[in-house]
Amino acid sequence: MMWRAIWAIIARELTRMLRQRGRLLSSMVRPLIWLLVIGTGFGAMLSHFGPGGYQQFLVPGLLCMVLLFGAMLASLSLVYDQESGVMRMLIIAPFAHYWIVLARTVSAAVVGLVQSVILIVILVVIGYFNAAVNLAILILGLVVTAFVCASLGMLIAVFSKTLDNFAVIMNFVIFPVFFLSGALYPVQHLPLVLKIVTLVNPFSYGVDLLKHAMLDGLTTPLGTDFTIGQDLLYMIGFTVAATGVACLRFSHAPVIETLARILSTPRRR
Amino acid sequence: MAIKKAEQPGSDKTKYAIEASQVGKSYGDLRAVDRLDLSIPEAQFFGLLGPNGSGKTTTLHMLSTLIRPTEGTLSVAGYDVVKSPVSVRRAIGLVFQESALDRNLTVDENLRFVGALYNLPEHVVRERSQELLELFDLTTRRHARVGTLSGGLRRTLDIARGVLHRPRVLLLDEPTIGLDVINRRTIWRFIERLRQEENMTVLLTTHYLEEAEGCDQVAFIRKGNLIGQGKPKMLIQSLGAYILEIESEAPDRHAELLNPTLGTPVQEGNRLMFCVPNEDFPVAELQRELKSAVHALHLRRPDLNDVYIWLNRQKPRTRR
Repeated sequence: MMWRAIWAIIARELTRMLRQRGRLLSSMVRPLIWLLVIGTGFGAMLSHFGPGGYQQFLVPGLLCMVLLFGAMLASLSLVYDQESGVMRMLIIAPFAHYWIVLARTVSAAVVGLVQSVILIVILVVIGYFNAAVNLAILILGLVVTAFVCASLGMLIAVFSKTLDNFAVIMNFVIFPVFFLSGALYPVQHLPLVLKIVTLVNPFSYGVDLLKHAMLDGLTTPLGTDFTIGQDLLYMIGFTVAATGVACLRFSHAPVIETLARILSTPRRR
Repeated sequence: MAIKKAEQPGSDKTKYAIEASQVGKSYGDLRAVDRLDLSIPEAQFFGLLGPNGSGKTTTLHMLSTLIRPTEGTLSVAGYDVVKSPVSVRRAIGLVFQESALDRNLTVDENLRFVGALYNLPEHVVRERSQELLELFDLTTRRHARVGTLSGGLRRTLDIARGVLHRPRVLLLDEPTIGLDVINRRTIWRFIERLRQEENMTVLLTTHYLEEAEGCDQVAFIRKGNLIGQGKPKMLIQSLGAYILEIESEAPDRHAELLNPTLGTPVQEGNRLMFCVPNEDFPVAELQRELKSAVHALHLRRPDLNDVYIWLNRQKPRTRR
């Protein structure tokens, strides 16, 4: 019985994504700038890794970047649903309130995945997608990482009261998660403090898993940091724990009461 | 609209659509709702009236399971709001003061979204959307984004959204606030039709008291307490035949002068309002007597606003 509701929530999310074309376009341009501008610049500096070596190393991280921006922003937008009115529909719908968290997490992950597939198509066309990729691990890595990003966003969304500012989200959530992940440089060479943060960051393991999928077939000194098993275990554990906590928090009576009050207060226009 | 009704559990047992017994809600020391008793029979059109901050919205939220009462028992459509919130939510439709639609989706997409949330079969959603859109003259806007609709159309669509799953109890929070007269009338006609065709119980909160005169029953709430309840006609009749308004430079003196015949007035600045108990009150005589001393003398039929004014005069029930 919940499947139709979940599917409707996913379909709504995808419709919104396709209608906000400017946002979709910028989420594709962002990783391409990293790849073609920064990747080329640093690649020239790091030419001893072979021509295009650094750019090849960047591709898994950039796929994860699209998942991070796509899925995490989609689940963080739970906070903005109050303004679009959708939360009013959801909160009085005939299912337990934690289903709102679950359905929005799944739909956010799907949004991220669709964007990553679009990026892969672009990468194939411009020739930055190597043929030696392990497809099974790639798909597994994209799906699990999408859920990590979605559930991390959801965890932040259900606890935040002041998440009303896009700049705050970018500076305090998305950029730290991305930069401290091994997406741009191998984890093993980092100083201890940064290394610890990176090891805690679940996103690091998504980047690592995609490196396994895309770089294992190549001989490059810029390789992976963990095993596939470690990556999966950490990410699945994180997703389950984060989603569980988010569900508990959201179903908590005072949280729903506060939300109901916000939803019923007429906005000043 | 199709008359066929879905099978509803417990419908033969419940006589009351809404039953509240000693329901209270406190936030720390603040009592938002205090020992509320309500029995609303099925298919009744019930108005919950009171100023902002009186506890109307809190009551509405308790009825829709979003807020848990801290005392008493409350059941809607035969289900307890604390024990079976999901069943209650399936049985109710709630229209918030603010729109519950997605502005980025079209009219049609919004209705299909709601249909899916209530797990209605797709052909049912199609049929009902069609009927509702025709009723509201929205058929031509079916594929328009909700954000492009006027405020009035959005409101009507929001009500259509609230009744798509044919709730047994429809809760309306100030449904006509901010709308022009024409849109208001459309909405009232529509609610009337729903009540007749679907046998729907409707609970309405409003502070446009003239709109509540069409209710079968109204209750006035102030600071979380019910201060009066009854059929609007009866409440109005109980005030008297007329309301006599006098504007005077010396209101205190006139209040004293008329007190023996008309009782204590309600005083607002230099305006006095008296309840005139019967039709054959000698108004002409009074007019001759006061003519030179007052600015204005106005005799009119009472309405719900007067009921509210007179109820407000009484002291609220003492609190625990």
